Amino acid sequence: MKPMLEARNLAVSFGGIHAVDGVTFAAAPNQITTVIGPNGAGKSTLFNLISGAVRPHRGHIVLDGKRHEHMRPDRLRELGIGRSFQITNLFFELTVAENLRLAAQLLEPRKHWLVPVRRSTLAGQRVGELLEEFHLAGKADERAGDLSHGEQRRLEIAVALAARPKVLMLDEPTQGMSHSDTAETARLIRALTDSVTVLLIEHDIGLVMDISDRIVVMHQGRKLADGPPAEVRADPAVQAAYFGHARS
Amino acid sequence: MLDRLSLSMRASHILVALLVVIALVFALVAWSTGDRFYLRLATEALIFAGLALSVDTLLGYTGLLPLGQALFFGFGAYVSALVLREAPSFWTAIGVVFLSTLVVGLTGGVIASRARGVYFALISFGLAQVVSKVVFNIRELGASDGLRGIPVLDIEFGLFSISTNAPLAFFLFTLAFILLLYALAAYLLDTPFGRVLIALKANEKRVPFLGYSVFGARLAAYILAAEIAALSGALYPMLRGFVSPELMFFAVSGNAIIGVILGGVGTLAGALYGSILLTLMRSIVGTWTEHHLIVIGLVFIIVVIFLPRGLLGFVRPRLEAVLSRRQKP
Repeated sequence: MKPMLEARNLAVSFGGIHAVDGVTFAAAPNQITTVIGPNGAGKSTLFNLISGAVRPHRGHIVLDGKRHEHMRPDRLRELGIGRSFQITNLFFELTVAENLRLAAQLLEPRKHWLVPVRRSTLAGQRVGELLEEFHLAGKADERAGDLSHGEQRRLEIAVALAARPKVLMLDEPTQGMSHSDTAETARLIRALTDSVTVLLIEHDIGLVMDISDRIVVMHQGRKLADGPPAEVRADPAVQAAYFGHARS
Repeated sequence: MLDRLSLSMRASHILVALLVVIALVFALVAWSTGDRFYLRLATEALIFAGLALSVDTLLGYTGLLPLGQALFFGFGAYVSALVLREAPSFWTAIGVVFLSTLVVGLTGGVIASRARGVYFALISFGLAQVVSKVVFNIRELGASDGLRGIPVLDIEFGLFSISTNAPLAFFLFTLAFILLLYALAAYLLDTPFGRVLIALKANEKRVPFLGYSVFGARLAAYILAAEIAALSGALYPMLRGFVSPELMFFAVSGNAIIGVILGGVGTLAGALYGSILLTLMRSIVGTWTEHHLIVIGLVFIIVVIFLPRGLLGFVRPRLEAVLSRRQKP
């Protein structure tokens, strides 16, 4: 199966520290590929490299068969990479619907960019779908800043998904959520694979083992292991470097 | 589902409609009493309100503080004056101002749009300082005296014409012109393009990850604001018959910002109200005392303390609530 996203030899250093050091992996279409590793392993930096937030010193990505180097985040988003953030990063002064509309209007043809938003039918429909799918319909007119933490985390995913990316990158989407919210979000993420390839960073190992199709383990900026959950869990190097210290 | 931003814009339209009613009542009273002074003063207030509108487009909607927006106001005034001295045609002057501002706005925008926050404010201030000092020292542009002797115009509309020397007619024309600029800004801010500008103000760091270029959006906002300021400035020599480098000075930019804050940042209509109030206050209080700036300063402090969201920032949310209740089934 041709991968939807490949990272090839990605590397970046900050002040002589190799935050990400030659990482290569592939994410198959409509599957969940999860990046795990101890704190400081380079997971979020890897996400920043793939989404264009940080410019790699070496390496490139291949998205849907096309190679891309040194692309800006807005261009990568247009090409099909959507992402959420570890720390909730929304437009807190805008309402839930306005947050979603802002993200979904990328679906509109360019010629509609200078017509009133009420005529942005594609974006309007998409907002309606997302409000239902993410159980936010009752909160549509509330300010994003007034939502509960769990609702904000769900909105964060919905915003990243709004313009129908090919690859959805979720950076610790369940961080700080209650058990029930975490289970609900895991179910949502699993359901998303019908339409999108998911790249996930997650600390909850139980959840990772449950929903991932493939796991990439990082340690000190390098890839330590890469494979299906059972295979990775059985890897002695992984157990020594990671599972020995993590929640299970 | 309500679109709060569109609702806010509708509330602004209602407040602008109220301003038009006030202006028309004033025009009627001035006409019946044969007044010229207050009509000229009100026309000038409207022209400076155009500058405030451009400031609010940047400050209130894009989150950029332009400390030197008078640069474009003065640029429009000078280009208009130069054209009118050679070819006294309103439409030619406006066309040349529009096209030349595109070039100058693009140039200034490429420089200023790379920065944000206080750095943008300082670049904007610096650009205006440089240009105003250059104009101040160019003899061909009248140096410190500016350009004088701008002829009285007849603005042709085919079936009729309006003389810039007829206070009532030119006041009504200026009102319509500034309303058109308001309508342009309000329309664009309620489009997907405008929503990206609003997103820049709300959380600029998130914008690129939604697929929008921050630099491109800032540049477009800068050019839009430059055009609004320059087109407003183009009317100034038609009213006063001269232009001077002072039109580009910081005092003019600062007054526009004060007008926006008085009226309510991010309301568009507030920029018009605030700027008109400020111009009228400066002139009317100035006829009583030469220390009028003390009075204006005190009014500004009182508004900032007791109405931190400005005059319309206080009124508009209440109007929005009424509109919202009507819209809900």
